[in-house]
Amino acid sequence: MNATIAAQMTAADFLKLRKRRGTLIWALVLALAPLLIFFIVRAAQHSSSPLAHPAAGGVSGYTDALRLLAMFFGPLAAIMIGTDAGAGDVSAGVFRDLVVTGRSRVGLFASRVPAAVGLCWLVIGAGWALAVLGTFVFASGSPTPDAALLANGLGFALLSTGVVCAVAVGFASLTASRPAALTVLIGWHLVASPILANISSLGSSRNLVLSQAIGHFSPVNLGDRRGTTLTMSAGVALIVLVGWLLLFTVLGAWRTRTMDA
Amino acid sequence: MTNSTATDLAIETTGLTKRFGERAAIDGIDLRVPRGSAFGFLGPNGAGKTTMIRTLLGLTHASSGTMHLLGHPVPLERAQALERVGAIVEEPRFHMHLTGRENLRLVAAVRGPQTHARIEPALARVGLSERAGDKVKSYSMGMRQRLGVARCLLADPLLLILDEPTNGLDPGGIQEFREMIRAMVEQEGRTVFISSHLLDEVEKTCDAAAIVDRGKVITQGAIAELAGGGVARNELIVGVDDPERALAALGGSELVLEMNRSEEGLRVVLAGPPQTAAQLNAALVGAGIAVMRLEPVRHSLEQRFLEITSRLDASPTDTEEVSA
Repeated sequence: MNATIAAQMTAADFLKLRKRRGTLIWALVLALAPLLIFFIVRAAQHSSSPLAHPAAGGVSGYTDALRLLAMFFGPLAAIMIGTDAGAGDVSAGVFRDLVVTGRSRVGLFASRVPAAVGLCWLVIGAGWALAVLGTFVFASGSPTPDAALLANGLGFALLSTGVVCAVAVGFASLTASRPAALTVLIGWHLVASPILANISSLGSSRNLVLSQAIGHFSPVNLGDRRGTTLTMSAGVALIVLVGWLLLFTVLGAWRTRTMDA
Repeated sequence: MTNSTATDLAIETTGLTKRFGERAAIDGIDLRVPRGSAFGFLGPNGAGKTTMIRTLLGLTHASSGTMHLLGHPVPLERAQALERVGAIVEEPRFHMHLTGRENLRLVAAVRGPQTHARIEPALARVGLSERAGDKVKSYSMGMRQRLGVARCLLADPLLLILDEPTNGLDPGGIQEFREMIRAMVEQEGRTVFISSHLLDEVEKTCDAAAIVDRGKVITQGAIAELAGGGVARNELIVGVDDPERALAALGGSELVLEMNRSEEGLRVVLAGPPQTAAQLNAALVGAGIAVMRLEPVRHSLEQRFLEITSRLDASPTDTEEVSA
């Protein structure tokens, strides 16, 4: 499979995802609505009691908005898009029609990942743009983030959601069922991960929780609000992150290659 | 057919078997499908037709046996083999949220850059150009079937494999579909492999067929030969004014292979080609016998199919070979 075909296949997968209105709308809602609500509520609080409530924007607002986008709602949007990309062909019954073209099944899987991550990043990019807008519009004279922090924040949001999205593609390809993958991954993200990270008796094995490893790369202090106070070295965080990526992409590719179509 | 080389054959399998646990869905199938023909794979529901197609296309792995598609061994050269193969397995499925054209674009992207130029001609070929911009969820079953064929045509296929292609089509759609298949074979030189449980469909569409039951090919060959019981028989109903005299007049004639009295007059199996009927007529008229009727007997595949399957019911291990 040459680069031209790989690019065309990725573009085709991107088209497939972009045209699925339900998924795209919900992903946008998850990426944008919480930020909108956050800025509106904080601005209202600040205007009613400026001493008790800091400005909605500024560095503080950017930090909180980034936390919402990169660590909580962004990954949910990434899961929605990733599971659609991973299980969409099988769910629609067209996987066998792609297989009978003679194209490598691993190639079919491989094109899903960049397509899903690409769409995910567009959605997250829109969320980040809203976060930046709110940061400056609602700064109310408080210090605003510099260009480096803004860029690092974008990089962090893209890293966090990109990894989650790729894992979701692999996991959905493995299960070959979008509802199952969606349920498990959302459950993991919202429930299991925070609980595991807070069970101190698990010790350093908690480093294996993906959200904790991702949190290590945050340019802003996530502090207790990310659900735990775990610390780990950059090397460990990177290994955990790459490990999750490798594990689920390999499993997804394996399942795509071996399943009866 | 047994002397054909691999390149003369669009599909060739030897001892192809697919087992699900203890049960063999297809069991040692030897199949030879000549290029440039419409070939029926005929059998009742559950006979193993879809499993055969899925195995040929690499959608599921064979348990044993060998297969060649367009001369390429599969799965060894699967990609090359499938490059010029178009297939509809079971009912054609699509991404419902995309238009017909977008669905074809997805497959064109997978097949390669040269394929994009075939999208519009393929849509035109199946009469879907005007509706190609509509979402597939708004298509009727017949339109989806036609879009499935258009998707096959993106490969510019030398071989089309269609699994129960007329399922869900109305009579008009079935007729249209048959005509399209015949045009693909006769005008474009493609090979079409059709699985079906409908005898009528295979008989009207195909040049040759294999009858399959319980995972085994019972017989295969040209339709006329299958219907005739293995040999292409030119049989006539001959209506005459005096059957006894006609029997005497034709007795010992080298034109006749076999004859007997029937309700209609005589039933005569010609020794030569169908044109021999004219000589037979001349011989009877020359003997002073008035000939009122000279009608070829058309053996139906249905008759033959029922004979075979009823024999199978009596003795499940019976099989027969028909050379074509």
